[in-house]
Amino acid sequence: MDEKTRDDLLKLFQSKLNEAMRLYLETCTRCGVCTEACHVYASMGQTRYIAAYRHEIVRRIYKKYFKGRGKVWPSVGESKELTEMALQELYDAAYSCTGCRRCMVYCPFGIDTQTLMSIAKLLLVGAHAEPEVLTMLADTSIEKGKSLEFFKESFLTGIKNLEAEVVKKWKMEAGETPIPVDVEGADLLYVALAGAHSIIPAAAIFNAAKENWTLSFFEAVNFGAFVGDPTRTKLILERIINEAKRLRVKEVSICECGTAYRVMKQLSGKQPFKVSSITEAHARYIREGKIKLDKTKIKEPVTYHDPCQIARNGGVIDEPRYILSNLTNDFRDMTPDVRYNWCCGGGGGLVALGEDNLDFRMKSSKVKVDQVKQTGAKILATACENCHSQLSDLNKHYSMGVKVRFLSSMIADALVQ
Amino acid sequence: MEAAVETVYYIILVPMVYVAFAIFFVGTVARLVKIFREPKNPTTLQIFPEKEPKWLFGLYDTFLLPTVRRQMPVFWVFLMFFHVSFLLLIIGHIELFKEFSVFQVIPHEVFLGRGFVGLVLLLCLLFFLFRRFKSPYRELSVPEDYYLLILLFLAVLFGSQMDWARRWYEYGGMTVENYRDYLLSLLYLKPKIPSDIEVSGHSFMLVLHVFFANLFLIFFPFSQAMHSFFSLPMNKLRRG
Repeated sequence: MDEKTRDDLLKLFQSKLNEAMRLYLETCTRCGVCTEACHVYASMGQTRYIAAYRHEIVRRIYKKYFKGRGKVWPSVGESKELTEMALQELYDAAYSCTGCRRCMVYCPFGIDTQTLMSIAKLLLVGAHAEPEVLTMLADTSIEKGKSLEFFKESFLTGIKNLEAEVVKKWKMEAGETPIPVDVEGADLLYVALAGAHSIIPAAAIFNAAKENWTLSFFEAVNFGAFVGDPTRTKLILERIINEAKRLRVKEVSICECGTAYRVMKQLSGKQPFKVSSITEAHARYIREGKIKLDKTKIKEPVTYHDPCQIARNGGVIDEPRYILSNLTNDFRDMTPDVRYNWCCGGGGGLVALGEDNLDFRMKSSKVKVDQVKQTGAKILATACENCHSQLSDLNKHYSMGVKVRFLSSMIADALVQ
Repeated sequence: MEAAVETVYYIILVPMVYVAFAIFFVGTVARLVKIFREPKNPTTLQIFPEKEPKWLFGLYDTFLLPTVRRQMPVFWVFLMFFHVSFLLLIIGHIELFKEFSVFQVIPHEVFLGRGFVGLVLLLCLLFFLFRRFKSPYRELSVPEDYYLLILLFLAVLFGSQMDWARRWYEYGGMTVENYRDYLLSLLYLKPKIPSDIEVSGHSFMLVLHVFFANLFLIFFPFSQAMHSFFSLPMNKLRRG
């Protein structure tokens, strides 16, 4: 690696250093309490997947270039030069970490591995060594934000084609629009994903609840966050913030996508609208009696997989359970509880890499499979696109024999007209 | 005593102590100032479910280590014994300067703990050290982790020796009064080594104790021992 590249990368490193980051970098005592925390380690048993070991890969470079010790007495902390090999190590650490933050629950200091891995991811972006597909997807999202007019027509046609499906789930009066788009002054802006499964059930439920809603032009998923690029993350986020402001909505509701929800909720700053996950909105409709559900529709035992970014990292924990108590009499919660819930193994952009890392994703999530099996449930509900994809892959790979379902689609199917 | 040895004793017992304390205080304050002047993280770093009041749970996490208790109960017992003993050790040393009635709530003879504070610390340190020889902790450890444990072990070992000699073997060559004279003279910047200390058959224990303690103090601000200051703010970040 030449001098110039290294300097540029170190500048990127520097840009990530704030109070919390320095605390995370400087406090680890390598006590190893986090050993059993990572689902990858728990499933595969290799030391390099222990949270503290992942930290050290970043920390060694930090000690070398940002601490006096790294110059005076480099061996004491095993500080390490930033080289091509170091980048490879950073890649292995960052792209085997799903950012579920389960290790944060174990650590006596609460060191956040996901935040530390964001340094690794940013350095990889800087060195053009990140998974290209993630950057490409992020750039597509950004491009869409810039030239909305160009995409508008095809988007509206696509939406029109879904309307019949929505009406099948919830009949409407003549003259009502099943999927309203671009409605100024609507109460709620729903940000979905590019996929009918993310729009049809949600639309039916909004209509059933008589919500004054409108569908966003943009998809919620933030590939910028997956690839760990703060600039792209912000650009993708801002498209939605600007749309919400333009339409003067009171609430932005994010579809079943963990990262999108957490980024919107925690990164959008102070805005004139509130941010909710679609699960929260659904729980509200049931609580306020706006929708009624038929409990007899689901006949098999159900369990729920808490998406890490929505539950442990986003705080939406009671709502899905409340919804499920209105959908079934046979809900079986997983053990251990939500704080210690195992990650599905698909977060942090891993599932978006598709076939490339399928083998790793399957091997590293053995503990999740066992956790689901333990419940004896036949329906595995979840509220996150990534989790859904990963759990479906696991279901197939391990022949788990469960049905993996989105919570919203279960609600839509149980709506009482 | 030979003059050369006397000089070495003097350097360790006087100038090195000053240097060590200076590095300890300046280094620690500088590092705290540097870190806490950095900008805050733009987003929350907490995890859920949250419990109120958050500050109280932050203190709970910091001082009672519930996550360690849940995951590694044996390690937790050693950690608690170690940290409580370390606190007692600090109090014990403060009492070597002067008697404070606050510390005499439970009446005791100085040095407190009847020699067991040091013994418990040594056993804990050995546990921590041997633990690191085992996989996967061996792979996680870096030299710093061993240096700190070894330095502390040596400092505590020689310190405890002096305590044990008086407590358990009725050795009377060095008394608490001698230590008080020595420490207060250092505090008032009029360093004087009492002759009792110098000629005692146990004086090399004291010199070695002070030497390793000095090294520990010098290393402290640059090491992960700083978790003693960082743990609370970090646990507050986690609690939100």
